[in-house]
Amino acid sequence: MNWFKSQDGRGFLLALPAIFWLGVFFILPLFTIVVISFMSRGAGGVAELPYTLAHYDRTFGVFSVILIRSIRIASITTIVCLFIGYPLAFFISTRKNRNFQNLCLFFIILPFWTNFLVRTYAWRILLGDAGTINAILLSWGWIEEPLRLLNTEFAVLVGLIYGFFPFMVLPIYASIERFDFKFVDAAHDLGANDWTTFWRVVFPMTLPGVLAGSALVFIPSVGAFITPDLLGGTRGLMIGNLISRQFGGSGNMPLGSALSVVMMAVVLLTLLVYVRFGINREGDD
Amino acid sequence: MAYDIRLKNVVKVFSSGKHKGVVAVDNVSLDIEDGEFFALLGPSGCGKTTTLRMIAGFEQPTEGSILIRDEPMEHVPPFHRPVNTVFQDYALFPHMTVLQNIMFGLKMEGLSGDAAKQRAYEALELVRLPEVANRRPSQMSGGQQQRVALARALVKRPAVLLLDEPLGALDLKLRKQMQYELKSMQQQVGITFIYVTHDQEEAMTMADRIAVMSEGRVLQVGSPRDIYEQPQSRFVADFIGETNFISGTLESHDNGVGHVRLAQDTVVDVQMPKNFSLSSGAVTIPIRPERIGLLPNGNDSPFHNMEDITILTGHLLDSQYIGTDTRYTVKIPGDNEIVVRIQNVDYLETVDFEIGQEVQVFWSLKSTHVLDH
Repeated sequence: MNWFKSQDGRGFLLALPAIFWLGVFFILPLFTIVVISFMSRGAGGVAELPYTLAHYDRTFGVFSVILIRSIRIASITTIVCLFIGYPLAFFISTRKNRNFQNLCLFFIILPFWTNFLVRTYAWRILLGDAGTINAILLSWGWIEEPLRLLNTEFAVLVGLIYGFFPFMVLPIYASIERFDFKFVDAAHDLGANDWTTFWRVVFPMTLPGVLAGSALVFIPSVGAFITPDLLGGTRGLMIGNLISRQFGGSGNMPLGSALSVVMMAVVLLTLLVYVRFGINREGDD
Repeated sequence: MAYDIRLKNVVKVFSSGKHKGVVAVDNVSLDIEDGEFFALLGPSGCGKTTTLRMIAGFEQPTEGSILIRDEPMEHVPPFHRPVNTVFQDYALFPHMTVLQNIMFGLKMEGLSGDAAKQRAYEALELVRLPEVANRRPSQMSGGQQQRVALARALVKRPAVLLLDEPLGALDLKLRKQMQYELKSMQQQVGITFIYVTHDQEEAMTMADRIAVMSEGRVLQVGSPRDIYEQPQSRFVADFIGETNFISGTLESHDNGVGHVRLAQDTVVDVQMPKNFSLSSGAVTIPIRPERIGLLPNGNDSPFHNMEDITILTGHLLDSQYIGTDTRYTVKIPGDNEIVVRIQNVDYLETVDFEIGQEVQVFWSLKSTHVLDH
C-alpha cells in the first residue's frame, strides 16, 4: 500500500540510478583494471596479451620497498594524527561553551579553505634547504649547515599529517560528543581511578570514532601522490607516485594496474579491520 | 545508634555550567542509620539527586561535611568510598556483557578469575537473572537492566547503596513488583539504602524513614506514618498524598487543643503540635480526605454523640466516581471547599447524594492538625 516503504521490487527503483552509476563508473573499470593487471605491456605502455603474473612479481619484488614504505608512512601518519587528535578532540568536545567548541572546529577546518596544492607547496618553502625552518635554526646558531628536510620521508610525513589531521579529529570529536559522562561516574563508583576509567570505559566507547578517523586518514595516506611528489623526492616516493607514473607517457599500464590492485587490497584489509571492530561495537547499541 | 552516613550542614552551590550560582542543596543535615532504608523524597530540582551525588563523591559540597561510617569524606574520591550507586538510567557499560559489567567493580578491587566470577553469579542469583550473564545491556529489557545495575552495585558489598530513581523508567506494574523486591532484597543483604525518588507512594511503600526535600532544604524527616499523619509544613502535607487545607483563625488553645474560627458562627477544635509557633492568628488545618465522613443533613448518626467529633454542615458541589472511592467536593463554612473520599463498599448502606444537597461532614479530633501558614 505504502509506496514509500514498499519492500518489493518498486523500492529497488530508488536505488537504480546509483546502481547504474556505480556499475558503469566503478565496478566495470575496477574489473578492467584487474584484468589488465594480468596482461603484458605493449608498445606505448598499453596492455596486450598474453596474460602474465610478471607485474605482481615486480610489485612484491623490486617495488615491495615502496609498497612497505607507503604502508609505513600511512601508519605513522595515522598514529601521529591519533595521538595529537584524540586529546584535542577530547578537549574540544568537553568544553561547556558550545560557541567555543564551534570556534575550535572552525579553526580545524580552516586550512581546507586553501587549495591543497598551495598548502603543500608552502611546506616546500618551509622545509627547503634555504627554507624558513633552516634559516631560523641557522640564525640562532643551533645548526652549522642546513638540515636536509625536504625530499625526505620525514617531509612526506609532515605533509600528510598536516593534510589529513582534520579527518582524524572530526569523527573522534563526534564520538566523544556523543559519549555520556554518566559512564565515567559509574566507573568511578565501581572503584576505577581516572586512568582505568579512561582505558576501560571512555576509550572503548569512543573507539568507533577512533577507527573511523584512522580509516579516513590511513586510506588516503597510503595512496597519496601529490604530497610525496612535492615533498618526498626519490626517498619519499610512495606507491601512489609509482602508479601515476605508469599511466603517463611511456608508462606501463598493466604494472600500474597491478600496483593499484595491491594498494586496493591493502585499503580493503584496513576497512575490514574497521568493520570488524568499529561497526560491530556500534551495532550493539 | 550507629550512623552509616552523616551530613552536617551541607551546602552545594554550583560554580559552573548551566546551573551556575544555583543553591542546589541548602544547609542539609541528615543522620542515616545503619541498615536503614532511607528515602530522599521531593519534586524535581529539590536537591535530592545532588545530595546523593555528594554522598557518592561525584560532587563536592561547597560547605559542610559528609561522614561515611564516621570517616570524613572531604578528600576521598568516589572510587575510594564504601558506597555504590544504582543510576537512574542504569549506566551499564554498553561495550561489556552483563558478566563483565558486574565483574568490573570486582576487578577494580583486584579480585579476578573464578572467585570474581562466582561472586558475580551470586549477585545475578540475588537479582534472579542468572541466565543473562553473556548478554549485552542493549539486548535486555529495562527491568532486566535495572536488576543488572543492582547486581553490579551490590556485588561490591558496599556499606551503603545509593539509588537514584532506579525504578523511574519502568512501567507501573513492574515498578510495583520491583518496589517489593528491592525492599526484601535490602532486608536480605542488610545494607543501608539511600533511595532518591519523586514518587511519594514509592517512598511510603519502601522507606523506613523519609526526608522530604524542597528547594534544597530538608523540610521534614520521619517515618512514613509521621510524614503522612503529622506534616509540619504545607508543602509536606500537600506533596504526600491528598490534603484539604482549611483556613481559619486560631483564637485560643488549652490542653493541646486549639480553637479555630472558620466563620462567624463556626469554631472547630484541632490538635495542637507541641511547640507550635503561634498562640493566635491565621492558621491552616490540613485534613486528609479519607478521614472525613459524609452524611445527608438532618441525619442523626451514631457519631453525633461521640466525643471529639467535629460536625459541620455544608452543601455538595460535586461528586466523582473513581472506582475504589467516590470523591465529594463540599463547601463548608468560611468559604472552604474540601474533598471527602468515601470508599465504595457493599457491606455498608450507601447513600446517593445529589449535587447541591445539604450535607454534614464530620471528623475526629485525632485527624486534625494545624499549620502556621
